Amino acid sequence: MSEKVKCREALDLLQDYLKEELTPERATLVRAHIEHCRPCLALACFEERFLAIVSESAGRQRCPDKLKARIVALIRGQSTEL
Amino acid sequence: MPEIGDARAAFEAEALPHLDSLYRVGLRLTGDPARAEDLVQDTMLRALKAWQQYQPGTNLRAWLFTILRNTFINDYRRRKREPIPVDLEAVEPFAIDRAVAEVDPEAAFFDRIVDERILAAIDALPEEFREAVVLSDVEHLTYAEIAQTLAIPVGTVKSRLFRGRRLLQKALYEHAVEMGYLKPRAEHP
Repeated sequence: MSEKVKCREALDLLQDYLKEELTPERATLVRAHIEHCRPCLALACFEERFLAIVSESAGRQRCPDKLKARIVALIRGQSTEL
Repeated sequence: MPEIGDARAAFEAEALPHLDSLYRVGLRLTGDPARAEDLVQDTMLRALKAWQQYQPGTNLRAWLFTILRNTFINDYRRRKREPIPVDLEAVEPFAIDRAVAEVDPEAAFFDRIVDERILAAIDALPEEFREAVVLSDVEHLTYAEIAQTLAIPVGTVKSRLFRGRRLLQKALYEHAVEMGYLKPRAEHP
């Protein structure tokens, strides 16, 4: 792999980069490209924004307390529900 | 008997912290809070019964999610497998990120969309894509963990994930245009 990456390669690697699944070396190369390339930076920011909103919005929900209590009771053998 | 008590205590200590995640994924799989609760309860019971088979130090989260998903498929899934929408197989939709960049470079419109709409858009995804998106982008499993949970290769995980994300972006974009958060792109390529 060449020392610097071009747009094509950066974009191919972008999803893996955002998911932190690249090796540190590759991540550094992608980051370096994105920081200096406006179109790629715009695309990366858009994807990042999107992923953040999905994570926050859908990640807010919690297991209801009553369900948790039922499960704890089942685990401890305190329930006849089995 | 002390051994059973220890095992149960260990299960409670190690598996319970994953309840929120399991519930969230259960919701997106079943689309219904009541069924999600039953699914999660069933899953935890099965996991407890199978606890001896779990190898300590291996990926507990993926192990639990696998049980959740298999339980869903066996006992809770209602619809038949949906065919992949034809238009996905054909032309790539116009680049939403570029359409957005023209009018909303910060992609701020995402922030205006309420949680319920985002959840509805996720729920509207075909199940294969929805699973990948939820496990990856809501629960933050790695590609390898998702591959293990869904029993598919990493390449397939990525393919479903990227297509699912594109579909989701398209749905959110269209909603934002409908709501006036974004001006629609003037022309298509």
